[in-house]
Amino acid sequence: MSERAPVGVTGIGVVSPFGWEPDAFWTGLVSGASALRPAERFSTLAPGRLVGEVPARAVGEIARSSVGRRMDWASQMAVGACRAALADAGLDAAALPAERTSLALGSAYGNLQETATFLDRLFTRGSGNPLVFPNLVFNAPLAYASIELGIRGETAMFSMLEASGEVAIGWGIDAVASGRAALCLAGGVDELGMVLHRVLEEGRRLSPGVPRPFDRHADGMAAGEGAAVLVLERVADARARGARVYATVSAVPAFAVPAPVHGWSSDAVALRAGLAASLADSPAVFVSACGDLPRDRLEARVFAAGVRPVVVTAIRGTVGEFGAAGALAAAAAARAVSEGVLPPTLGIATPLGGLDVVTGAARSMPLRGGLVPGLARGGICHPLKFEAT
Amino acid sequence: MPGGIAITGLGALSALGRDTAELTAGLRLGRDGIGPLTLFAHQGRCATAAEAAHVPAGPWGLPRATVRRLSRPDRLAIAAAAEACTQAGLDADARAAAAVLAGATTGGMLETEEAYRRWRAGETRRLRTSRVLGTSLASSGAAISQALGIFGPQETMATACSSSALAIARAGDLVRRGVVPAAVAVGTDALCRLTFAGFDALQALDPERCRPFDRHRRGLTLGEGAAALVVEDADHARARGAEVRALLLGWGTATDAHHPTAPRPDGEGAMAALRAALAMAGLPADAVDYVNAHGTGTPQNDAVEMSVLRAVLGTRLARVPVSSSKSQFGHTLGAAGALEAVVTVLALTHGILPPTLGVREPDEAWADVDVVAEPGRRAALATAITSSYGFGGHNVTLVLGRGDAR
Repeated sequence: MSERAPVGVTGIGVVSPFGWEPDAFWTGLVSGASALRPAERFSTLAPGRLVGEVPARAVGEIARSSVGRRMDWASQMAVGACRAALADAGLDAAALPAERTSLALGSAYGNLQETATFLDRLFTRGSGNPLVFPNLVFNAPLAYASIELGIRGETAMFSMLEASGEVAIGWGIDAVASGRAALCLAGGVDELGMVLHRVLEEGRRLSPGVPRPFDRHADGMAAGEGAAVLVLERVADARARGARVYATVSAVPAFAVPAPVHGWSSDAVALRAGLAASLADSPAVFVSACGDLPRDRLEARVFAAGVRPVVVTAIRGTVGEFGAAGALAAAAAARAVSEGVLPPTLGIATPLGGLDVVTGAARSMPLRGGLVPGLARGGICHPLKFEAT
Repeated sequence: MPGGIAITGLGALSALGRDTAELTAGLRLGRDGIGPLTLFAHQGRCATAAEAAHVPAGPWGLPRATVRRLSRPDRLAIAAAAEACTQAGLDADARAAAAVLAGATTGGMLETEEAYRRWRAGETRRLRTSRVLGTSLASSGAAISQALGIFGPQETMATACSSSALAIARAGDLVRRGVVPAAVAVGTDALCRLTFAGFDALQALDPERCRPFDRHRRGLTLGEGAAALVVEDADHARARGAEVRALLLGWGTATDAHHPTAPRPDGEGAMAALRAALAMAGLPADAVDYVNAHGTGTPQNDAVEMSVLRAVLGTRLARVPVSSSKSQFGHTLGAAGALEAVVTVLALTHGILPPTLGVREPDEAWADVDVVAEPGRRAALATAITSSYGFGGHNVTLVLGRGDAR
């Protein structure tokens, strides 16, 4: 095996339903307030349905290049998160070593809304819109971010449903640890639009009220959107330039377990076995529970307190559920480990048994480490482990 | 790594056939897989495509309800991966420890489009979850994992036309670092209205058929298919008695940071990928015996690609046969990197130089280059390169060697 250096998180950029301001996401999570509110950009079938919408922003505030001004909403959020992460790391995009900088983004569904718009015209007029098509290529956020930031090293876009962000960050860790890149921006983005919301609504996947992750009576999730990007550097490099290191991060070997191709595994034993080593030194787990009972029950069984105490918390009830929400969970984990604070899980009245969930208010506790398990449908597990420096 | 990284199994479904045997025959005979588009109605300039010769029905041991939900690229991908695993002789234990690295660009878009069309037209009341969200890019990888019992790391990547070349590079990386002893790298994509209408609207499709490297080339021809390669630690392969069909000697990836759809005119990203791949392989330009080009047939791509080859291979270029297999089975987008890597392995193992179909008059800018003419020819080859350049400027080059080269 080739040598691998420890990798640290030196910058965090999040564009979430809490807003675009640098600290809005973390402050919002810790405050115990919900970022969900009735949809404004599109109408829902059931009036007043709660969603996690990111506040609108003019593309001119995000794009610097002429081609960038055409970028789609998901790309805007991704580029916004990249810029915020670099600023947080004290780095200037113009001064990055272009060929030695990598970029990895994950997204579950990409630009579904503009795809629908493109198809609307195709079905009515028989022709596609050449101006829109470039934005429908799945890796458009990756392309725009590389163009806007001048990144010319290795770049990759991933799509892994609920674990899209975790997979991208895991790839970024490899790129930096192996020395192929001096620095990697890694995270995920997913957007919410009318079509996606309609599908979830008609599929009866959404809560009529407030989502209740880990509640016995959970009745569905709330749909959300956002982007989160971490700046990953070798710890030694970060220290050499005097940068703050929030936490070190490593990709635990990923694995899959038997599961329905399109659904959640019920094999909690296999998942627990695969995660056992990482759970041993990660007292806190940033789960993906969101009020969707099959998923929440699976996670409750995997992360039930056993021989070792494990504290769990879920952000998807606070900002909404979307494919790349795992990237936001990773951002929260890095910050939580750095500060010794766990944000609360919102909406729980009667918790599923056997779990120590952070509820009510944020919990201060010294944290040696935190785990983002990266579970996704199809039996996928892509864990990320954060450790205090 | 002492023994290197081996390719021990291949799988392929394309316009040239339902498996690698049919693909090999198609390459040997210089068959043309391009014909009329029949999969859906299209009102644009172009009416040709390279449709898959066969889309398997399954069920690959999966529940009937699951099989019904599988998209066209899911089906192509499972069949390609199954063929590659069988050819590699991976038993259940070896499969369970392996990784799945998939590359794709549109997933079940064909099925999503139809669901959306019917919903818009009022033919169905509900926009069905299973038809819109159940056909994601990730589903082919998950289907391969569950159908074949492959339970190592699983990743699906999407960098447009270089997606599955990147998946092969990632497979090589995981094997080289000892994360897994073997990995199944697969690329898959099906024709759909979105890409067809999109490329046509960009005027990137040749109305008749693509003519890569021809002076009068007008664009690409879309195709579909899937291809898989078992990428394995060569020592692990030999220890279990598997045949090493080829070696993955090196790979390189680099980014243009230039434009969402156009390549950098100076080709610097593609050059960096090619140079990095040769450097990893530890080979000089003179060692390259064959180039399986990206060769889309668009005016811009072919010009940039030839200038990249000239810049990196130098005087060697005039002595290296070059072909574009897209002239035989179309541009298969997310599947292209893997499918063309399979072609390159077949070229090495069988000594086949597949032709570039449709060339009537080579561009004078590369009159000195040996673009393999119809119907192709034979030659003993030791080392070959294959490049893939994705929309958005994501470039990947792979260096492959004959299995007995080391």
